[in-house]
Amino acid sequence: MGVMMKHMFIGGTRQLGLALLALLGLFPIYYIAVNSLKSQSEYARNQLAPPILFQFENYASAWSQVAGPLLNTIVIVGVSVIGILVCSALSAYAFAVLPFPGKRGLFMLVFILLLIPSFLTLIPLFLQIKRLPFANTYWALILPYIAAGQAFSIFVLRTFFAGISKELLEAARIDGAGDVRIFRSVAVPLSLPVLISVGIINLVPLWNDYLLPRLILNRAHQTVTMALVAFQGNAQTHTAPNFGALMAAYVLASLPLVVLFSFLMRYYIEGLTSGSVKM
Amino acid sequence: MAQQATSSPQTAQLATRPPLRTRLVRGINGYLFILPTFLFLGYFLYYPAWTALSGAFTDWDGFNPPQFVGLQNFERAFADPALRASIWNNVVWAMLRVVRQIVPPFLVAELIFHLAGRRQKYFYRTLFVIPLVIPGIVEILLWKYFYRTDGLLNQGLALFGIGELRWLSDPGLALYSLIFMGFPWIAAFNLLIYYSGLQNISKEVLEAAALDGTTGWRRIWSIDIPLTLPQTKLLLILAIISSVQVILEPLVMTGGGPGFATYMPGLHMYLVATQYGEFGYSMAIALLMFLVVLVLTVVNMRFFQERAD
Repeated sequence: MGVMMKHMFIGGTRQLGLALLALLGLFPIYYIAVNSLKSQSEYARNQLAPPILFQFENYASAWSQVAGPLLNTIVIVGVSVIGILVCSALSAYAFAVLPFPGKRGLFMLVFILLLIPSFLTLIPLFLQIKRLPFANTYWALILPYIAAGQAFSIFVLRTFFAGISKELLEAARIDGAGDVRIFRSVAVPLSLPVLISVGIINLVPLWNDYLLPRLILNRAHQTVTMALVAFQGNAQTHTAPNFGALMAAYVLASLPLVVLFSFLMRYYIEGLTSGSVKM
Repeated sequence: MAQQATSSPQTAQLATRPPLRTRLVRGINGYLFILPTFLFLGYFLYYPAWTALSGAFTDWDGFNPPQFVGLQNFERAFADPALRASIWNNVVWAMLRVVRQIVPPFLVAELIFHLAGRRQKYFYRTLFVIPLVIPGIVEILLWKYFYRTDGLLNQGLALFGIGELRWLSDPGLALYSLIFMGFPWIAAFNLLIYYSGLQNISKEVLEAAALDGTTGWRRIWSIDIPLTLPQTKLLLILAIISSVQVILEPLVMTGGGPGFATYMPGLHMYLVATQYGEFGYSMAIALLMFLVVLVLTVVNMRFFQERAD
C-alpha cells in the first residue's frame, strides 16, 4: 500500500464527509417535499419516508393561503432589486469615474452607513412610514429596501467600474457620447454579470425578510414570510393541524428561488468568490 | 470594504486645477448621478437613525410629540430586570453563534478547495448553496417542529432509548436549542467568502509549503488561517452584528421564554415599542445596543489591523 493508495483513501473520506454534510444541508428540502404530499395519518406515522398516497389537495389548500402573498413578495422584491441596481450603479459610476468636488466626503457618507445596523432604524422606520401617504402600498417596503441595499452595492460596483479601462471611456467621449450615454452603452453592458451578482446577493435577504414587512404592511399586502408564520399559527390552533398543507406552503414559498437559482446560481457563487466582497 | 478613492490624478493637477466654481459646474453630472442614492439614504437611513438617537432621550408614544426626559430611559434600562436577563443570554448567543458562523464554513471551504478536480469543486460549492432556496423563516418554522416534544429529534432520541427532551420549553435548554438549530451550520454566504479567500492565496506560497512538508492541519494553521484573516474579519463583524440584533428566532420560536430563558435585548427593544408603545424607551435600548456594536466593530478592526502589520 503506497503513498498513492493513502492519498486516495484520504481523498475518499474527505469526499464522503463532504457528501454527508451536503446531504444534511439538503435535508430540509427533502423533508418539506416528501411531507407536503402526505395525509395527516401518514405524516403522524412516519415523517421521513416518501409519501405512499399523494395528497395533492395539500397544495390546493396551501395555494389558497400563499398565492397572493407570493405575488406581493415577487413584486416588492423585484422592484426593490431593480431600484437598488439602478441607483447604486449610477452612484458607483460617479464615484469611480466622474470628477466632482467633495467626492471623498460624499463617499465617506456612504461608508458610514455600514456602521448603522438595521435594528437601529427598524422602529423609527415603522413610525415614519406609518405616517406617509403611501403607507398602505407596496412602496412602503420597496423604498426603504432600495435605501438599505445602496452601501454594499455601491462598494462592489465602484470597484468594478474603476477597473474599466480609461481609454475605452475616453474613446466614447471623443465620439461625442455624454456621461449618461457612456454609462448606459459602455459601463452597464460591460458590468452585466457583476450587476446580476449584486442583484441576487441583495435579493436573498429581502426575500427572507420578516420583521420590517410584519411591522409595516397590512394584510392585503403581506409578504410570503408573513403568510407562512400566520398559516403556521392557524394550523396550531386547530385541533388537527394539516402539516401536509403547511409543508406544501413551504415548498411553494421556496419555488421562486428554486427557479431563479437554477438560472442564476452561477452569478451568486461567482459574485461571492470573486473576492469583491471584502472589508 | 473597498479600495481608496481614486485621487491621484487630482493631486497631480493640484497646481493648475480650475477654480471651485468651474469644477462644481463641470461636476454637475456627478452630483446628478449620486442624487437618487442620497435621497433614499437621507430619508430612509440617516433620518431614522437620527430619530433613534434623539428619540432615546424622550418619552414618546409614537402619536403625540416626544417629550424630552434626559437620561431617564437609560436609568430605567440599567435597572430593567428583563434587559439584564437578556444581556447574559445575548452574550452566550453571540459567543456560540460566532463560532458556529466561522468554523464550519471555514472547514468545509477547506475541504472543497483541496479537492482534486475543478468540476468537483464547483459541484460541491453548488451543493452547499442549494439550501439557500429555502426561506430563512421556513427553516425557523421547520426547526420549531423538529423541536416539538413529539417531533423528529425526540423520535430520533427514542431510537437510542433516550427519553424526550423539552427542547424549547426547558429553561436550561431552550437558548441552546435556538443557537444550534440549522445543523450542519454551513452558511453558504460564509462558505463562499472563505472559498474566495483560499483562492487568493498565491500558488507559490502553497507550492513552497508543500515542498517544506507543511501539509494538512499544519498548513491550515500556519498558512490558510493567517492568509484568510481579511475574510474572517468581515464574517466576524457580520456575525457579531447579527448576534447583537437577534430578534427573529426568539420572536417566532419561543417569544423569549420560557420565562426569560431566550429573551434578547433586540427582542426587548422590539416588544417594548410594538406591544407597549414605549418608543422612547425602545430607542434608548437600540442606542445602547448600537454602542455595543460600534465598540465591538472598532475593537475587531484594531485587532486585525495589528495582525496585518
